[in-house]
Amino acid sequence: MTYQSVKAKLQNGKTVILDGAIGTEILRREVTWADHQLRKRPDVVRAIHADYLAAGADVISTNTFQLTRRAFRQHFKDDAHMRHIGAPDLETRWADLLRAGVTLAAEARAAAGLEHPVAIAGAMTTLEWCFRPDLAPSPAEAEAEYREIAEVFADAGADLLLVETVSSVQEAVAAARAARAIGIPFWIAFVPNERGALFSGESLAMAAQSLAPLEPDVLLLNCAPPDDVRAGIEQLRPYWQKPIGAYPHIGRFNPPEWLFTDEYPPTRYLEEARAWRVQVVGGCCGTTPEHIELLAQRL
Amino acid sequence: MQPYPALRERLDRGERVVLDGPMGSELVRHGVRWADNGFRTNADQVTALHQEYLDAGADVLRTNTFQLNRRVYQNVFRDTAHMRHIGAPDLDARVPRIIGRAVEVARAARDRAGRLEVPIAGVMSPLEHCFRPDLAPSFEEALPEHTEIARLLAQAGVDFLLLESMNTVREAQAALRAAQLTGLPVWVSFVVGSDGRVLSGEPIPQLAADAMLVNCAPPEDIQGALAQAPWLSGAYPHIGRFDPPSWKFEFFPQFTCTESWPAERYAAAARAWNVQLVGGCCGITPEHIKALKS
Repeated sequence: MTYQSVKAKLQNGKTVILDGAIGTEILRREVTWADHQLRKRPDVVRAIHADYLAAGADVISTNTFQLTRRAFRQHFKDDAHMRHIGAPDLETRWADLLRAGVTLAAEARAAAGLEHPVAIAGAMTTLEWCFRPDLAPSPAEAEAEYREIAEVFADAGADLLLVETVSSVQEAVAAARAARAIGIPFWIAFVPNERGALFSGESLAMAAQSLAPLEPDVLLLNCAPPDDVRAGIEQLRPYWQKPIGAYPHIGRFNPPEWLFTDEYPPTRYLEEARAWRVQVVGGCCGTTPEHIELLAQRL
Repeated sequence: MQPYPALRERLDRGERVVLDGPMGSELVRHGVRWADNGFRTNADQVTALHQEYLDAGADVLRTNTFQLNRRVYQNVFRDTAHMRHIGAPDLDARVPRIIGRAVEVARAARDRAGRLEVPIAGVMSPLEHCFRPDLAPSFEEALPEHTEIARLLAQAGVDFLLLESMNTVREAQAALRAAQLTGLPVWVSFVVGSDGRVLSGEPIPQLAADAMLVNCAPPEDIQGALAQAPWLSGAYPHIGRFDPPSWKFEFFPQFTCTESWPAERYAAAARAWNVQLVGGCCGITPEHIKALKS
C-alpha cells in the first residue's frame, strides 16, 4: 500500500526522495563496517533509518548491501569446508540478516510516526563484487540466487526491491526476472563509468531496451561520482520514458572503508541534483542525512 | 650471533621452539578495525600484541602482513584506472608502506623487550584468499608479485621469510623461489584440509625450504597432515570457528567458539604433535603461547 503512494507520486510527475548511505554512515558514527551490524548494533542501524525518515525520505532502503548466501560461502573452499571450519549458522545467516534488515527499517518507520507513507526497499546488488562484472555468475545461477533473496524480502515485508550497483545487463535482467516471478515491484540502479556506459562495456540504451519488457518502475544510476552519474543519465534518457533516478557517491573508496571528503557538502550536492533533472534522488556512499534533508526541502 | 643462525643452532640441537600466535584474530577480538591489517587506526595495538607474545615466551615473531598484497586493494575495483578514479589517493603505495611499517613495529617490540635473540619472520601468504585454492594464480603470475613482497620484507629488515597458509603447490613454489631471491632463509607452511593434504587436495610436497610446517586448519586436521608427511617440522593450527562478516569479501580474521580449546588443552595436544616448531594460528591467544612455552 505504501508503495502505491510512491508510485502515484511518480506517475504524477512528483519528485521522490530516496535515502542516503547506510554503510558509510555506520562508519561515520564510529562503528566498524566489516559486518552490517544488523545484530550487533541494531540501535545504530535503526537510528540511521530514523535520521533519513526525519530528513524527508519517501523510500528508505534496507542495510543489506551485498548480503547474500554467496557472501559467506566464498570465504571457504566449498560447502563441506564451511561446515567443517565455519561458524555454525553460516548457511542460513544471510536470510536471518535480510529479515533483520527489513525489521529494523520497519521499526524505524513505525517509530517515526510520519503522516505521509514511506516505502521500504529491500536492497540487493550484484552477487559478486559490485565493480567486477567479470566475476558475475551465469544468468541461470544469478536468477535462482536473486529469487531466494527476493522471496525473503517479500516475506519479511519489503514494499519493493531496489536492485542497486548493477554492472551488466545480464545481472539486471536476472534480478528483474526474479522480482517479477515473486510479484514484487522493483527498481534497478546501474553503476556508470566516466562515459556513462556500464562497467561491462554495454550501453545504458541496451540496458533500457532489455529491461523494458520486464517493467521496472524506475531505472537509476548510483555508486559512482556525480559526474559519472550525470553522464549515465544523459546516456539513459533518450531510451527510457519512465522515471529515472540518481544517487551518486561522494568521497573516495578506501577499502574496506570510506574516505570522507568535503568536496560535495549538502549545498553543492543539491546543485548537482537539480542539474540531473530526474524524478528519484538520493545518495550513495559518503552522503549523510543532511544531504537528503536539503534535497527533500528544496527539490 | 645473528638471530636466525642462533635459532638454527637450537633447532639443530633438537630443541623445541615456540612461535608466536596470530595477529589478525587477536586484534579483531580486541575490537581493532581490520583495515590495512589494523594499521589504519590501531598501530599501537599491533605493537602491543607483539610485546604480549614476547612476554608469553615466543622465540619467533611473525610480522602482521598476512594476506597483505596489492590484490587486496585491486580486487575491489574494476581495474587500475577505476581504482585511481574513485579510490583513496594513495592506494598504489599502500602495500609497500604497510609492509615497511609492519616490520618496523615488530622490530621495535623486540628491541623494547630486549629480546635481541628473537628472529623476525616476514610473513608471506597466498595472493588470493587462503581458503580458495581455486583462485590461486599461475606460477608465472605469482612469481613477480611474491618477489616484490619478499623484497619489501627483506629490505625492511626481517631475519627470514615464512610462507604461511599456502594452498596450492604451484603458488608455494613460486613464493619459495621469490623468497629465495632475497638470500634469506625460508620456511614454508601449508593450509590443510580434513584429509590432511594441502587444501587444494594435493599431497604435501617436500620442498627445498629451511623448515616445512602446516597451519591454518583445526588441530585434528593438522595432526592428520603430520602423520602423512614426516618431513614436516612444525605446526600451528587455528582453533574455533571462522566467522566471516556479512559484507567484507577479502580475508577477515574473526574466529569464534574458541572456548573448547583452552590453553592447557592446546598445550597438551601440541606435545603430541611431536614437532620442533609449535605456535598458534587464528583463535590462539598469548595465554596459549605461554602454556606452550611452559
